Amino acid sequence: MPLIVEEKPEVLITDEGIRTDGRGPLDIRPIKIQVGILSRADGSAYIEWGGNRILAAVFGPREVHPKHMALPDRAILRCRYNMAPFSTPERKRPGPDRRSIELSKVIREALLPAVFVEKYPGTAIDVFVEILRSDAGTRVAGVTAASLALANAGIEMRGLVTAIAVGRVGDWIVVDPNHDEDQWGDADVPMAFLMEEKLVTLLQLDGPLTEEQFDKALELGSKAADLVYELQKEALRRPYEVVRLEILKGGE
Amino acid sequence: MKTKEPKILVANRDLVLPGQALAIGPVKPGDYVYVDKKGVLRSTKVGLADIRDGEIRVVPLAGGYIPREGDLVIGTVSKVAGNTILVNINSAYMGIIIPPRGLRGPSRAKYNLSLGDVVLAKVKAFNGASTPLLSIEGEGLGKLRGGRIYVINPTRVPRVIGKRQSMLMLLRDKLGPDIIVGQNGVIWFNPKTLRHALLFEKILQKIEREAHVSGLSDRVLQLIESSGLDEGSGSV
Amino acid sequence: MLDERIAAELVSGYIRELAASGQRKDGRAFDEIRPIEVKPGTFTKGEGEAWVSLGNTQVLVGVKVDVGTPFPDTPDKGVLISNVELLPLASPTFEPGPPDENAVEMARVVDRALRGANAIDMEKLVVKVGELVYMIFLDMYALDHDGNIIDAFALGSLVALSRTKIPVVELKEDGEIQVKEETFDLPMKDFPITFSFVKIGEALMIDPTLEEELVSDAAITVSIDSVGRVCSIQKRHGIFRIDEIKRAIEVARRKYPEVAEILRTQGGA
Repeated sequence: MPLIVEEKPEVLITDEGIRTDGRGPLDIRPIKIQVGILSRADGSAYIEWGGNRILAAVFGPREVHPKHMALPDRAILRCRYNMAPFSTPERKRPGPDRRSIELSKVIREALLPAVFVEKYPGTAIDVFVEILRSDAGTRVAGVTAASLALANAGIEMRGLVTAIAVGRVGDWIVVDPNHDEDQWGDADVPMAFLMEEKLVTLLQLDGPLTEEQFDKALELGSKAADLVYELQKEALRRPYEVVRLEILKGGE
Repeated sequence: MKTKEPKILVANRDLVLPGQALAIGPVKPGDYVYVDKKGVLRSTKVGLADIRDGEIRVVPLAGGYIPREGDLVIGTVSKVAGNTILVNINSAYMGIIIPPRGLRGPSRAKYNLSLGDVVLAKVKAFNGASTPLLSIEGEGLGKLRGGRIYVINPTRVPRVIGKRQSMLMLLRDKLGPDIIVGQNGVIWFNPKTLRHALLFEKILQKIEREAHVSGLSDRVLQLIESSGLDEGSGSV
Repeated sequence: MLDERIAAELVSGYIRELAASGQRKDGRAFDEIRPIEVKPGTFTKGEGEAWVSLGNTQVLVGVKVDVGTPFPDTPDKGVLISNVELLPLASPTFEPGPPDENAVEMARVVDRALRGANAIDMEKLVVKVGELVYMIFLDMYALDHDGNIIDAFALGSLVALSRTKIPVVELKEDGEIQVKEETFDLPMKDFPITFSFVKIGEALMIDPTLEEELVSDAAITVSIDSVGRVCSIQKRHGIFRIDEIKRAIEVARRKYPEVAEILRTQGGA
């Protein structure tokens, strides 16, 4: 029994392109990232993206259990996307459902090309993406955080993976759909790139797009990903910069 | 035909990130550097760029221990099964000690290891994919008695040892001679007093935290001096 | 990563040595609790929530409220359902899957602490007696395991529950359920706090770190309410003498005001 009933907003986007949260079509929601937030995990990253609150953690390389799952020439990369019961307006029963199982695979496929698995034969690299609070775009925020958790764990990578979603509302192509657009919009294109060479590692489409609209979505997504990439890099550098500044100031 | 000039894109000791372009052209890629399809040298890890003699490598600031032949490692016996001894060496790869056949008497004694024993061993062989073979034949190798162990990020081991062993010698001088550093991030220390033990832990924490900022040896020395610990006095 | 059990065995001798001389590895006194922090911010879509750290241990507790039929033997009371997830990301030893015996034990102990103290005024959580009541889902998520997750859960639960705002629900004549805009605070009558102890040799110490837990010979959790009564006890592993249990309860009673004050200032509990 839902205690909260959602209603479709009258106007999803005005003629001038103002969206329900006041953003323009190209604006990304506010993002805050922190790496190394967990003490036990080998690597971790916490991201606030719009109303999303997502924790990504990595254990690895580590022994594989059961042993027969190990590969002789590379690491196996395992990924688990999970939503907390309190992450949605209506409580979600704990445990994997079909959607989280699919997303676990999609996220793994998005990260795998970035990882030098051949450097860790016979081992496992485990990635956990926990959605603490969901607000549209959890998979892209999850991939973005997971990529940082891998780097934070010191897993050798070709580069960082950055994800972003683009949607369509009527004729408008909008970057980083919010909850309203995700629920009631006309198309959704989550994507992720291995950034330095802009190779696509995640791409899904839900909803009809003309060829023109699709091209535009990819173009805008790619540009928006560049901005998110800068935030990822800054988050990786920050803990080292903080320590460096402390030492310079002679703060002991 | 144009001969390409090497183009270095970062400065020595710059903090670099995975995928970051470090150089283009005839530069030798060292540790943790790969060359992409367009010939750009990129870092595979978060670390510090190290440029010398036409080679560029990355000194990693994160990552687990991957065994290398010849490494001195400290581990704990996690299973004794028949003639094989499994040793946990703080890695995704479990180490194994196999006593040579035909040993008798005192030379056999060093292989009487039990669960939980701390051993100092050398990595004899590692095929890169499973169970490195460890050896405890050799002076000083084998069970370590007494003392306690500390685990640090293996990427910090070079800083605990220091250039030409300078940091390790400093620690041995000020805190006591019984310090052994394993390449796998496991350190064995037999402190004289509890104060020595606590100070040692503080020093390791400092090295872990500040490894990327130069002048570390001075700061460690300062920490030791301000602790009021004198090698001579042995009381708590 | 060293097998934490073996690592604990290695420091075990050293921790025991310290314990025998009245000391702990992190320098705390036997009756000293690690720093407690309630993280400011919103992290869930719960009607109440708290992200709490106890030393390096971190947990996130979320409260979700729904309505449903009451239990047949308590038609005039709301329902509390407590659940614990020991997330695999909190420790290399936690595996994904349904709650194991440790998770279930923790959930039931925290739940019992709340019931034992009548912490929540369940009679005020009724929409219509016998037909419709509020259901309080208490979901405790472990994020980072450095020992004593259970006390962290109990602290998080208290803060989360005391911040919970419940939308007013009306049951119409025709059976329609109407959810109002206005909310009311989840009615709390008491604030039980749990205190866990481990025994290492003869030493009894509060709020164990992971190492201390792994090395310990015995463990016990007691919870105290605001007037000093013991509202629940759970002996976890090992054996205790009666005088040791009495000592644990005495320490717990003594520590209550200090921890209650921290929760009040940090979490508005």
